[in-house]
Amino acid sequence: MSTQQLVKIDSLKIDVRITRSLRLAIVDTASFDVSKGQILGMIGESGSGKTMLCRSLVGTLERRGAYIASGTLEFEGTSLIGISQDQWRDIRGKKIGYIPQSALAGPNPVMTIGAQLGEAIRQDRDFPKGKIRERALELLDIVQIRRPEVVLKQYPNALSGGMKQRVMIACAIAQNPKLIVADEPTTGLDVTVQAEIMKILLDIRKNFHTSIILVSHDLPLINDICDDIVVMHAGSTVEKLPSSEITRSKHPYTRALYNSRIDLVEPKGKLVTINGQPPTVGKWPLGCKFSERCDFVVEACRTPQVIPLFEISPNHSSACLRYDEIGI
Amino acid sequence: MKEGVMTRFRNWIPMPGSVGIFTGTIMFISLVLAGLIIPNFGPFKANDFVGEPFASMSAKHPFGLDQLGRDVMTRTFAGVPIDLGVAFLGVSIPFIIGTIVGIFLGLAKNRYFINLVGSIIDGVNAFPLLVLAIAMISFFGTGLQSVIIILSITNWARYARIARTRAIVVSQQNYIEAAKTLGYPRWRTIRKHIVPNVSSETIAYALSDFILVIMVVSGLSFLGLAATPPLAEWGSMIAEGRSYLSQAWWITIFPGAALCWAAVSLSFIVEGLSRRDGGM
Amino acid sequence: MNILEAKKVSVTFVSHGQKIKAVDQVDFILPKGQTIGIVGESGSGKSTFARVLSGLQLPTSGIVTYNDEPIQKGKRTYAGALRSEVQMVFQDPYGSLNPKMKIIDAVAEAVKQHQSVSKEGARQVALDLLQSMGISNTDAFKQPRSLSGGQRQRASVARALSAQPRVLIADEPTSAIDQSAQAQLLGLFNDLIKTGLSIVLVSHDLGVIRYLSDYVYVMKDGIFVESGKTAEIFDNPQQEYTKKLISSIPGRASSRKS
Repeated sequence: MSTQQLVKIDSLKIDVRITRSLRLAIVDTASFDVSKGQILGMIGESGSGKTMLCRSLVGTLERRGAYIASGTLEFEGTSLIGISQDQWRDIRGKKIGYIPQSALAGPNPVMTIGAQLGEAIRQDRDFPKGKIRERALELLDIVQIRRPEVVLKQYPNALSGGMKQRVMIACAIAQNPKLIVADEPTTGLDVTVQAEIMKILLDIRKNFHTSIILVSHDLPLINDICDDIVVMHAGSTVEKLPSSEITRSKHPYTRALYNSRIDLVEPKGKLVTINGQPPTVGKWPLGCKFSERCDFVVEACRTPQVIPLFEISPNHSSACLRYDEIGI
Repeated sequence: MKEGVMTRFRNWIPMPGSVGIFTGTIMFISLVLAGLIIPNFGPFKANDFVGEPFASMSAKHPFGLDQLGRDVMTRTFAGVPIDLGVAFLGVSIPFIIGTIVGIFLGLAKNRYFINLVGSIIDGVNAFPLLVLAIAMISFFGTGLQSVIIILSITNWARYARIARTRAIVVSQQNYIEAAKTLGYPRWRTIRKHIVPNVSSETIAYALSDFILVIMVVSGLSFLGLAATPPLAEWGSMIAEGRSYLSQAWWITIFPGAALCWAAVSLSFIVEGLSRRDGGM
Repeated sequence: MNILEAKKVSVTFVSHGQKIKAVDQVDFILPKGQTIGIVGESGSGKSTFARVLSGLQLPTSGIVTYNDEPIQKGKRTYAGALRSEVQMVFQDPYGSLNPKMKIIDAVAEAVKQHQSVSKEGARQVALDLLQSMGISNTDAFKQPRSLSGGQRQRASVARALSAQPRVLIADEPTSAIDQSAQAQLLGLFNDLIKTGLSIVLVSHDLGVIRYLSDYVYVMKDGIFVESGKTAEIFDNPQQEYTKKLISSIPGRASSRKS
């Protein structure tokens, strides 16, 4: 009855090596699934572990001295834990595509756009050489770049931030991956450009049934575009819910995030802020990590424990001890 | 603030590079201390004839005696203040001149001035330091004093180039613009805001330059162009001992080891520093 | 009464022999006690215009007046006592503060420049000012690199306020800091508005503009394409570009998953 999930993550723990003997947990328990054709939003403040989770899905944890300590990470039913770099090469770019944050990484500045697209296309060794250009133009068309024949010959420095990001998307979808991981793809870009890029992602999902994990700190954006939302706080998944249920969230952190949206506030009215700062890695409180900042906290929250995700409905889980008392 | 240092010490997670900096500093300090103590308070003096020439290493003379019967150990460490001292002058003078000129250039608006001085800097920098130094010795004559003068005339350009680029970057930062909107007098902005942020980079360069200059000074002395016997300087000691390498290798090797020790210890420090997060 | 005004201001840059008009014949007014927003995307010229208003950039043509007096005399702007009246807060929280200075010293320097106090007095004033911005005494003695982006921004505001200005020009003050720091900074601006400060708020973030501004100018390619009261611009945009901008806000258009 239940179709196999495309991505299955359960109680995932990611540690990072600081020194030979010192390890720190960056992701404590992450649990969520992605189904075929689903757009899943991941939201969290800095230090929530969302970037590490992205890295775990594209196999770049090693590079940062991080590794999966325990838990489940499966893609298409097979575990991704401990696989070799060779095995990753078959997955990365081909089955799982990646779009980086626009300010941090972009097209290689010393290669033409055509050359880079060509590289992405030729990851499939069997792709006919004669058809590469055609495919490149097709990809540029999908990401709605006007005058693609001209762009093919250009270098990245001739392109705007939005166009560069579109090229990154084109490279990411070159092999028709089943999953795209987009880590803050529009952060730093103008809002009109962001709207265009979101539309492109939605079209890609519609036309190719690609699943997308969209990571952002911008709740209105996630809410608008994504089917479901995973909320991360201090390395743990604290809530999973459909975006349509956001007003009926069952976790104090999600509620606080929602209530602090600036577009909901009266001009010059009282802004709602979340108390304090997210706890720093390595100094996580025992018990619920949101307890220091929570308005809803009780003694039980602080006792050392791992708070499980309580299932409220098949699509909605919350890691709050008092989940059934919220929103009454 | 003192409080900050102590809390940091207690919560010490080793930062990258700490091992290098620590090791290098210990090595360097021990060399400097040996250089201060042994020649001045040791049993022998650097230029005294204390025994049979070419005597091998013994308990009384751990580094043996050289071709004139002088104690190699005392002479080796006597070279510390000379080599390090000259190198220090050969770095600090260019550092001061170069940083000042570089900042001037970086902040200058007059196109002719910029082009003129910039070309001078680029021209001087085009020559490798050692080659230029040898060439200028024919003009200034030999001797350690000449070397210091030559270094002051030539090495400053490397600092100036770094300082200039840095000054341009710094002057475009928001905090310098804020100094303008806050009405700070220009000279105060330069002194308090620009200079410290520029010199942090030239100081970092000075540290690695120190290693190079030690080598240049020793190298020139080895060639007989700088320090001359009987001065206890590593380069000239190495040169003197060359002819006796097969029979009394200690005459050359120990000064050479001291030279390496100095260079390696400084390299550890420089590399350790470069591994840390650089501040802006 | 208009405290700050710009008439037909243009700024033209020359780059590789090409003339680029960053700001093109722009008119602008800041009525006393109000918060005026300038919203635009990258390349619109809004930061250049902000720098003209604050005196950091000389316009190629046109004139800026403060209390009906031109701010420019020869090649200098805001000469003498005028300089303290108009202050600026910048986008990059790290670049806004001298990395080698403790922030208390940075603020104290500004206090000493503008208020007649002793060196010790300036330090105390600086401490109090930073405290009112939510920066503890312990944090005040740190260097910028030990503080968060939000704290650095608030320190910059404290430094600007040391001059006791009547006008604050904020160029993308919230763009480089995270959500909660943003909310804190906006609350701070709110309080400042209540003290009668006139503010020019330049931002690409429509939410921030809508929250703080009384009146909005929409800028594109160096000109103001539309201007009006905040509510009107957001609820009833008239020009094509403004409509495109407003509809790009997540949640506003029917961009939803189809």
